Amino acid sequence: MQILSIVQWYHFAYMVISIALLGFGVAGTVISLFRRALLKNFDHLLPSLMMATGFFMATVVSFSQPSGVRFDSYLLFVDYSQAGRLLFTYLVLLLPFLSAALAIGMTFVRYADRIGKLYFANLLGSGLGGLLAVGLSWIIVPQKLPVFIALLPMIAALWVLPRPFPINWLAAFVLNLGLIVIFIIRPFSFNLSQFKDLSKTLNLPDVEIIHEQSSPFGYIQVVSSPLLRHAPGLSLTYPQTVPVRKVIFKNGDWYGTVAPLFPPGDTTVYDYTTRVLPYIIKARKKALVLNSGSGEDISLARSKATARIVAVEPNSAVISLLKDELSKETMGLLAAPELVMHQEDPRTFLLKDTEKYDLISIPTIGAFGGSVGLNAISEQYLLTKDAFREMWKKLLPEGVISVNCWMDYPVRNPLKILATMIEVLTESGVEHPEQYIGAVRSWGTLTMIVKKTPILQQEANLIRSFCDRMLFDPVLLPDIKRHEREQYNMLQDNDFFQYVDELFSDQRETLYKNYDFNIKPPTDDQPYFSQFIRGKSLSHLSQLFGNNAMAFFEVGYLMVIITLIQVTLVSLLLIIAPLFHLGWHGGKRWSVLLYFGGIGIGFMFVEIVLIQRFILYLGSPIYTVAVLMCALMIFSGLGSYFTSRLELKQIRVFTIFLAIIGLLLVYSFSLTPILQQTIGLTGFLKILIMTLIIAPLAFLMGLPFPLEIKCLGQENPRLVPWAWAINGCASVISAALATVIAVEMGFKWVTILAAVAYGLPLITTITAKK
Amino acid sequence: MKPSCILILFLIGWQTDTYQEQRNSMVASQLENRNIRDESTLQAMRKVPRHRFVPKEQQRYAYEDRPLPIGYGQTISQPYMVAFMTEVIKPQKDFKVLEIGTGSGYQAAVLAEIVDKVYTVEIVPELANQAEKRFEDLGYSNVKTIDSDGYFGWEEFAPFDAIVVTAAAEFIPPPLISQLKEGGKMVIPVGSPFLVQTLILVEKKKGKTTTKSLFPVRFVPFTRGN
Repeated sequence: MQILSIVQWYHFAYMVISIALLGFGVAGTVISLFRRALLKNFDHLLPSLMMATGFFMATVVSFSQPSGVRFDSYLLFVDYSQAGRLLFTYLVLLLPFLSAALAIGMTFVRYADRIGKLYFANLLGSGLGGLLAVGLSWIIVPQKLPVFIALLPMIAALWVLPRPFPINWLAAFVLNLGLIVIFIIRPFSFNLSQFKDLSKTLNLPDVEIIHEQSSPFGYIQVVSSPLLRHAPGLSLTYPQTVPVRKVIFKNGDWYGTVAPLFPPGDTTVYDYTTRVLPYIIKARKKALVLNSGSGEDISLARSKATARIVAVEPNSAVISLLKDELSKETMGLLAAPELVMHQEDPRTFLLKDTEKYDLISIPTIGAFGGSVGLNAISEQYLLTKDAFREMWKKLLPEGVISVNCWMDYPVRNPLKILATMIEVLTESGVEHPEQYIGAVRSWGTLTMIVKKTPILQQEANLIRSFCDRMLFDPVLLPDIKRHEREQYNMLQDNDFFQYVDELFSDQRETLYKNYDFNIKPPTDDQPYFSQFIRGKSLSHLSQLFGNNAMAFFEVGYLMVIITLIQVTLVSLLLIIAPLFHLGWHGGKRWSVLLYFGGIGIGFMFVEIVLIQRFILYLGSPIYTVAVLMCALMIFSGLGSYFTSRLELKQIRVFTIFLAIIGLLLVYSFSLTPILQQTIGLTGFLKILIMTLIIAPLAFLMGLPFPLEIKCLGQENPRLVPWAWAINGCASVISAALATVIAVEMGFKWVTILAAVAYGLPLITTITAKK
Repeated sequence: MKPSCILILFLIGWQTDTYQEQRNSMVASQLENRNIRDESTLQAMRKVPRHRFVPKEQQRYAYEDRPLPIGYGQTISQPYMVAFMTEVIKPQKDFKVLEIGTGSGYQAAVLAEIVDKVYTVEIVPELANQAEKRFEDLGYSNVKTIDSDGYFGWEEFAPFDAIVVTAAAEFIPPPLISQLKEGGKMVIPVGSPFLVQTLILVEKKKGKTTTKSLFPVRFVPFTRGN
């Protein structure tokens, strides 16, 4: 997935991998249809499939890279021939999943009586695999990572090879291993889409990649060129040459420019941008820089001689890059007694930290002209109402929160961030939020400050004078006049100012309801700041901007919808197809469908909800996912192992489902206070607490699958592979479905629906009892 | 005359007519229909052989309503964009215009049909050379090309009545503002090089520089094809 994110784009990687994961569903269907033949040749097929898995893992990405077959996600909306290439990519990437799933599924079917132990091993491997992949990604470049991991199924193949080793098997094994070794020595080279930021940059003359680093946070590359100048939203009055900067790319996407240290008091390029606004009204003594990235806001704060700067950045790879490899370029930006650097998620930091600041800044929101939905399904916890509430609490009396964002058209980002600020102020008891918010606009950027106390007349005058010097326009000031808003930089129309004023009025809710885009403030329960698209506005937007407009506004979220439709349709086919062979009636078909569909959906929903809850707690999405998945899989595996000792009594299954639903309900009420009380503890203790919380639920969730497979194996073994197919398909559908539910209704609904999903098998057990 | 020569001449004539027809159709459907009204711009768009500014393998698409690849990761802009950027600077016969981002040279050729002098700057040496040769072949003697960093404009021939920037940037280069004549206009797309950009008009009037956001330019990805 990381490789696809690098050469293409995250959402397409998500879509392609979701389809490829259906290999598990396909395997179940294939085994259902050809069960007898496959089991007859089990001893030969198992090692063959394991070797095939190793081969495909090592090679599939390179198969999809030649120019004749490589698809480019950015072209899908204009060049329909790309659909054929996309189909080819789906099929190629399906192969390793299919071969592995066939091997696992056949083993489950053949040894259904020992399913508890087998499923335990399967889950344990999945859990440890996640940890291993995170660890390896620190030392192995993305091109080589799948090739190294391909050695694992090869070891498994060696384990199950017929003994004594026949010479032809041994030859096949050695040949396969040799091929993998060749790919390790000479990995394929990336063919980045021509539309990636990095591709475009590499077209510049005298360009050079001066540093590359693999990490679980993404593949980091640093590029230098004498033409890479950076000064977003620069004033038209800037008198000097815009400085050349080195640029950091993450997975081929622009991450930030390497900011240097400026001597305090020097006039810098920042002084000619709107982001200097908080320093215009007052010198700052204590600044908190959240998501400090490549160091722009730290550089600004240091240039203004800020006495104490606390910077928080979750990406440890970037921090060490700025401190070590790029220390010459940063001129020691991060090495100063007044700077304290924290490697942590900024939200987790906000929850733990007890200091107060007179400036809190966050990174620039959006991109030039709009982000085209690139972050539409990324959870952005730093931009929720809950996050700004935390920031508001941390402000000293004269303190400000500073937010910089790109102007877009139709306007989305500035309205949503303003709406969020207004609601936070209102809910914090501020009667007249317009007295507390100031904003100025250049030809492309808007910077907003939210002050803990009302903006004074003298401060408003300083802002006006700054705007006159820089040819910027004030947008929000306590005594703003209409004519002031467009003195230097005219917009396409006056809609923006009208909407801004409506947000401060009692028309706010009406605007949320009627506006073509979703500008309702995000919350921790629905943390999708960049999700703007609304189904009901599609036809109106299409009339206004043309039929292809959606692709350029919010393609990210559309990709999730398209993925959901695709996986649902293919899954239906995969679930229905075996019924032509197995027959449509009798033998608990409906029960099997509800049972395995229910636990497939329920398990995935719970997994996603737990990840969402613990990300803020542990403070690192990557490590949280790795550790949480590991704990979840191991304890589910233990549950599965435990089933090998259980008698097949319906009452137990009934009790298990009731317990799962009960625990989900308990968690939905008690988890937040527990996590809030313990968030200040050390990382080790927090992992321990997380594991203790997860363990009972995971243990219970590991029971239903092997219990029913064992039961089916005795009563109707022909249905075992079908059950495996249903479970696989349900898991893939629910991953995309959970995202859509979280975006539209919030994570609390994902939790509720997880309980409902576990209620489906409960119905079947009740029916069976009767 | 040999029959083969007659046939070749006939084919050349037929092809020329076909391209002229395509240009007329392009102007009617893609430009006039979208409110391009400046007669000198429309006339220039009818005249400049756009197919001569694209690689051979792209010639059949030359008059379609989209940008096309010209190599080196660059594109020739969509015809509407070229016409709009020409019209918006209100070009006059006696104008001296600076273009940043020569690319194929098509925008410069359109301007050269209307104004007195066009100075065009291209950062990619190969593209600059190709464009220079094209201008020579097509008889655009009023276009001067230089292979240089467009950020600095072309100080030697400043000030300019108008500046047309065809490459997207995340800021408006200060040297270009200083090389703009009092009363002059500059049109520049700002934003991410791909995806969405905003076309901005910069005007210098009575010692005051102002900007106007014109409209978002949705970048239509081109087919790499060959």
